[in-house]
Amino acid sequence: MKRVVITGVGAISPFGTGVHSLIEGIEGGQCAVKYMDEWNDYIGLNSMVAAPAVLKNEKDIPRRKRRSMGKMSIFAAQAAEEAVKDSALNKDILTSGRVGCIIGSTIGSPEALTETYEAILPSKDISEITSMEFFKFVSHTAAMNVAQFLGISGCVMATSAACASSLQALGTGFDLIRLGRQDAVLCGGTEEVHPTVTGIFDVLFATSTKFNDRPKESSRPFDVDRDGVVCGEGSGMIILEEYEHALKRNAKIYAEVVGYHTCGTGNHISQSNKDAMIICMNEALNNAGILPEHVDYISAHATATKQGDVEEALAIREIFGESVPVSSLKGHIGHTLGASGAIELIASLNMMKEGVIYPTLNLKNVAPECEGIAHVRDFEKKNINILVKNCFAFGGINAVLVCKKI
Amino acid sequence: MKEQEIIDIVNDVFEESFEIEKEELQADKNIFADLGLDSLDIVDLVVALQKKFNVKIRNDERIRNISTMGDLYDYVALLKKEGVKPV
Repeated sequence: MKRVVITGVGAISPFGTGVHSLIEGIEGGQCAVKYMDEWNDYIGLNSMVAAPAVLKNEKDIPRRKRRSMGKMSIFAAQAAEEAVKDSALNKDILTSGRVGCIIGSTIGSPEALTETYEAILPSKDISEITSMEFFKFVSHTAAMNVAQFLGISGCVMATSAACASSLQALGTGFDLIRLGRQDAVLCGGTEEVHPTVTGIFDVLFATSTKFNDRPKESSRPFDVDRDGVVCGEGSGMIILEEYEHALKRNAKIYAEVVGYHTCGTGNHISQSNKDAMIICMNEALNNAGILPEHVDYISAHATATKQGDVEEALAIREIFGESVPVSSLKGHIGHTLGASGAIELIASLNMMKEGVIYPTLNLKNVAPECEGIAHVRDFEKKNINILVKNCFAFGGINAVLVCKKI
Repeated sequence: MKEQEIIDIVNDVFEESFEIEKEELQADKNIFADLGLDSLDIVDLVVALQKKFNVKIRNDERIRNISTMGDLYDYVALLKKEGVKPV
């Protein structure tokens, strides 16, 4: 098997454009969640908070490339451009057919989807639909748009697995490179904040509803007062590259990807399950050939739901006890769903580089049922050699990635 | 509707939908070779014209014969003669 390393990162996050904005926001202990005035028109929507990202400089993307992009694809294209630039992969390599593009999202652009059906359904008339709407809302919108934008002609694929989408993208890219089928893969996820997306969680009573008057306190993973998900948006993109390929061109290397596993829970469509999480984390560690005691940091999925955080805490406790620091970044940027795995991994790579662990924002009082793991509540200096990134999605889809300093 | 009014409305569509500078929008310009539109853009052009002029022209075969901005102005003028009004 070939070795796989990370050689480039890019992000659009609720803190702004670029990885530096993401890191500045987290290191500054900020929270990007706000009250969504524009959602007042929606009847029955109880959660009025979200962490939106700002669409900026989209016209830097030529119209011909941009016309088929909804907001989420623009975020993805901008994050991808940053990641490619960061990796210094040149155009010849990108377009060689030996580089892939795997990007996930929960669905295609919900904004485009809504506009399209708002136009069609009242009169059942499709004649007012533009040629581009379809390309904006299909499930593989970001993967195909970014591949077109950058001229990537290797494996182009979309991993649509809700909150595990981008980690599955990374895992799939990891496998393709390990098997020698690609030299590098641009992997990541992207997502849009939209009332229909928050609404999906809202009808399941999985959103935060008690903090509409205090948005910055609304996303509080593992906290006793947590009351649900706060959706965020943006995109995280990561260049995975075959180790020798990266060495040959003297690329900057962030870390080595050493293990990955994805599995289904197989017993409930929405409820998280600690046993499946345990299997997923253990298999990823086995895949990496790493023992639990050698892990230095766990970037938890922890979305601040009542049930999901408990299951994850129990699963982590079962494998790691209180020996490994755990934090969730969803207090800072909300839950960026399909983008969360990649965005939070990028932040975790920065922790690895800087030797510091970012705390879980808004974790004031650990919920008794989430105790027994090493919650990080203040910035903690620590040399991180091995980190674990968790993503556990609706539909009982679990994904875990293990990275090692190199 | 005056001829200039038609030209202005059609030009607005090109500026808004295809981000083409007003100065480029001359009667002799070929909408494909000079202005860079392709077959997908034509679908969007038709949708935009339908909205601007409150017409249904998606299946109008005459659209296939349009190649310059002048052809397009003439086509819209013809629609006007046929009794359509801008919305």
